[in-house]
Amino acid sequence: MIKIENLEKIYRTDEVQTKALNNVSLAVNEGEFVAIMGPSGCGKSTLLNILGLLDEPDGGQFAFAGAEVAHASERRRAELRKKHIGFVFQSFNLIEELTVAENVELPLIYLGVGAAERKEKVAAVLEKMQIMHRRNHFPQQLSGGQQQRVAVARAVINSPRLILADEPTGNLDSSNGNEVMELLTELNEGGTTIVMVTHSEHDARYAHRVVRLLDGQVVLENRQPAFSA
Amino acid sequence: MFKNYFLVAYRNLVRHKGFSFLNIAGLALGLTACLLIGLFVHDELQFDKFVPQGDRIFRLYADHFRGDARETAAPVPPMYATTMKQEFPEVEQTMRILMQASNNLVEVGDKKLYVDNSVIADSTFFSMFELPFKYGSAEHALDAPTSIVLAEDVATNFFGKENPVGKEIKVNKQSLLVKGVLRGGLSKFHLPINYVLPLSAAGLPKERMKKWGWHQFFTYVKLRPGTDAQQTQAKLQRYVTQVVNPTLPADDQIKEVTYLQPLHQIHLYSANFKYDMSTKGNITYVKALSFIAVFILLIAGFNFVNLSTAKSLQRAKEVGIRKTIGASREQLMLQFLSETVLLTLVSVVLATVLTALLLPSLNAFTGKTMTFDLLANPALLGLLGLLTVVVGLVAGFYPALVLSGFQPVKVLKSAVVTDGVFGRVQWLRHGLIVVQFALSVFLIVCALVVFRQVSFLHNKDLGFNRDQIMFFPMRGDNMKEHYDAFKNELAQVPGVASASIGYGFPGDQVAGDGIIVPKNGEDKEHGVTQLMVDYDYLKTLGMQLIAGRDFSPALKTDKDQAFILNETAVKELGFGTPEKALGQPLKWKVWNDKNPDSLKVGKVIGVVKDFHYKSLYDRLEPAVLQIFPGAYWKVAVKLKADNIGSSVEGVKQVWAKFSPDSPIEYKFLDDNFDQMYKAEDKLKSLLWLFTGIAIFVGCLGLFGLATYAAERRKKEIGIRKVLGASVGSIVGLLSKEFLVLVLVAAVIAFPAAWLAMNRWLQDFAYRIDMPLWAFLVAGLAAAAVAFLTVGYQAVRAATMNPVSNLRAQ
Repeated sequence: MIKIENLEKIYRTDEVQTKALNNVSLAVNEGEFVAIMGPSGCGKSTLLNILGLLDEPDGGQFAFAGAEVAHASERRRAELRKKHIGFVFQSFNLIEELTVAENVELPLIYLGVGAAERKEKVAAVLEKMQIMHRRNHFPQQLSGGQQQRVAVARAVINSPRLILADEPTGNLDSSNGNEVMELLTELNEGGTTIVMVTHSEHDARYAHRVVRLLDGQVVLENRQPAFSA
Repeated sequence: MFKNYFLVAYRNLVRHKGFSFLNIAGLALGLTACLLIGLFVHDELQFDKFVPQGDRIFRLYADHFRGDARETAAPVPPMYATTMKQEFPEVEQTMRILMQASNNLVEVGDKKLYVDNSVIADSTFFSMFELPFKYGSAEHALDAPTSIVLAEDVATNFFGKENPVGKEIKVNKQSLLVKGVLRGGLSKFHLPINYVLPLSAAGLPKERMKKWGWHQFFTYVKLRPGTDAQQTQAKLQRYVTQVVNPTLPADDQIKEVTYLQPLHQIHLYSANFKYDMSTKGNITYVKALSFIAVFILLIAGFNFVNLSTAKSLQRAKEVGIRKTIGASREQLMLQFLSETVLLTLVSVVLATVLTALLLPSLNAFTGKTMTFDLLANPALLGLLGLLTVVVGLVAGFYPALVLSGFQPVKVLKSAVVTDGVFGRVQWLRHGLIVVQFALSVFLIVCALVVFRQVSFLHNKDLGFNRDQIMFFPMRGDNMKEHYDAFKNELAQVPGVASASIGYGFPGDQVAGDGIIVPKNGEDKEHGVTQLMVDYDYLKTLGMQLIAGRDFSPALKTDKDQAFILNETAVKELGFGTPEKALGQPLKWKVWNDKNPDSLKVGKVIGVVKDFHYKSLYDRLEPAVLQIFPGAYWKVAVKLKADNIGSSVEGVKQVWAKFSPDSPIEYKFLDDNFDQMYKAEDKLKSLLWLFTGIAIFVGCLGLFGLATYAAERRKKEIGIRKVLGASVGSIVGLLSKEFLVLVLVAAVIAFPAAWLAMNRWLQDFAYRIDMPLWAFLVAGLAAAAVAFLTVGYQAVRAATMNPVSNLRAQ
């Protein structure tokens, strides 16, 4: 699914150069659930952004589903994103001017899906996420847990092969957090590959594998048995 | 997809009410100003466009030269038409209108009214101008000397709704027969017409119609299709010098240069013409207003760009999300462009409503009858649609480019977007503010200069006292024959200070003629203004003698042997000083004498201080005052300051005694002068209005930007306050940036305004010096307005609780 080799990312300001990623190599197989952990500033979000084709690496290779994309054009990256990748963020990142249903519908609009099919799919996914009764509300009117369920619904609406989650439970209390983790696990069991950045050892236990980063380098990779609560 | 765009756009509009209001209000106001100006300019450009074959019709006019000075006048001698018809095969038709200026008494039955704007024209008038008839027909309408054709308004006024063709109507007691009625709606015709009389009715002697020196006719020619007007004009000028002049005596040589003016240019390009009866516009003012319209639209458009890019701060996250989900940059640009187009559409709709509401006031102010009927005018509707799309796209393009360029990685992570992202649009925003303020400062300077010059025109010491002077023409033979008795009785009315009868009062028609100065046995003739006065002229007008004495009824010789000069005449006739002029001999060819060679021979008895008997557009000319009852026509009555009402009543009673058949028709002399500067008065008002709009619209934008700046620097302000900064220093910090921009704007605007206003002032013979304080005031006003606008936001930001600002980060 994903194969990166010797990935480098350098942030420059006028006076300082910071190596956010230093020779990172990583492979994620189809259907895997990988957690990326590490202290603040270790480069885990940078890595996730590159994996999500939101950011470009300064060096190294990146193969996504077999195709080299390290320096793909903005258009090609947008194309891959909307077809294959779903995002879940710590801060939910819902569009405040759109209702729950409209937020969830958005990826389908960019994919050019017809209105009738969109309606059907949105209803199905909202049902699945148990947020159907809130479909005409605006994000501000929802609790954090509900917002994140909407964000997950939006991430999965077009059945992406890969879901990238950036501290998905970071803004949630533990019971809402657990709900979201259950959702992700369920999706993974359905065949979706998941890469999740997290601070939480608890959340990391849901993953098949934990990758630990420190100062832009992979320091440890360990497989672990499936979490059982 | 578009549904989604518009949904977001709509919800954004509603959510950010303040911003939406600033954006829409600014643009709507700017568009309204543009639409109103556009309607006015369009209307001005429509003059005479309805006249069939108007592109082949030309009016003659002539440049006259006096020393270095050039004077352009519309009327030309009658022989031009005659000659061109006979000798120029390319001329299809000619037509002359007699220049005459007076209201005539029109009577039908008992109804008597003075009606102005009469046209006395060759019978070819209606084949030159094929005006539509309501009753009767153009054919033979002006053949008989007793014919008259009425304008629809006049016909309705005198005859009601019935068809008056064949009915009798009296003009100045002369009985005429109505031959036709013109259809109304001739407001776009350059000649104001209430009725048309045939030239044959004027009874002009045949010999006079053969003159090359009698500049009394507005002359039109219609050229055959395909004729080059430039060539015809050159041919005419050659013909005059090579064929006509050799047949004329040396004294009567034609010195003026005659030109052909296209019909479609008469209305707008004759502003400086002397003796012109056409309804005049002024191309300078039309152009100035067009510029102002463009200025205002630019200012409003810049606001839009500025506010939108500033607001992008709040949209950054949305852009990030959309991009993450897979939106392409093109899709995002399309989204933001459709938002601006939507916003523009709302503004255009608002502007349309505002325009419709304000148009009646503009019509009243300009005396026009403009309409703004979208349903009746699909072209206008199309234009508005085009305006929406163009303004929307142009104003939205840059914000869309900036917004769609955001990197999701950068904008999604932090709650507040850092300045780095916006740094690159900073220069643009500042640039646009500078342009906006430069335009505003430019307009303020112009408005102030025009204001000063206009009040100068109205208040300049004219060398005589124009206050409380009742002014009217004499009517009826009885009054004219017994003018002396009439005047005496007028002077007896309580409240009347003095009365004068003559021809050539300030602000009214004056006659130009020659005066002969005998020198070394040779007579030299000078062109001067002849003021035919009586013994009370100087007293009534409060004029000042600077040498010699006034005319005196006690001295019998004053009537036939005395002249008074103005200072300019003293110089131009070569007498040196007023004292030296006294006693100098002068000769004048008497008017309307049976003996064409009869001369009035006399001496200079006095010199008056120069006085402005014409508008301040005109340089003072040499003037000769003399007693000449043969030309007496107008009456000036000086009233005492109190009880004007009863004094006027008294004058009316004396009038009724001498001329019971004709109602009196009076004005006040100062009105004549105020009338001269009507165009300038209107320019002044329009300038104030549109300057106000421009500044207001600019301020809306500035207000928005100040809000944004305060928002953006919240954290900085919080930190500064925690460290002990005072409110004052923070207000200063936030305001400084904008004040510097205003300063730059002023530096750009000043030279431009100076050049523009200097050019405008040059048209006046008497003008103010460029008022430097106007520049200072304009700069300070712009700075003050900017400071007040920004200051409000700055004070708000500075007085906020710093802790809440810092915590929000």
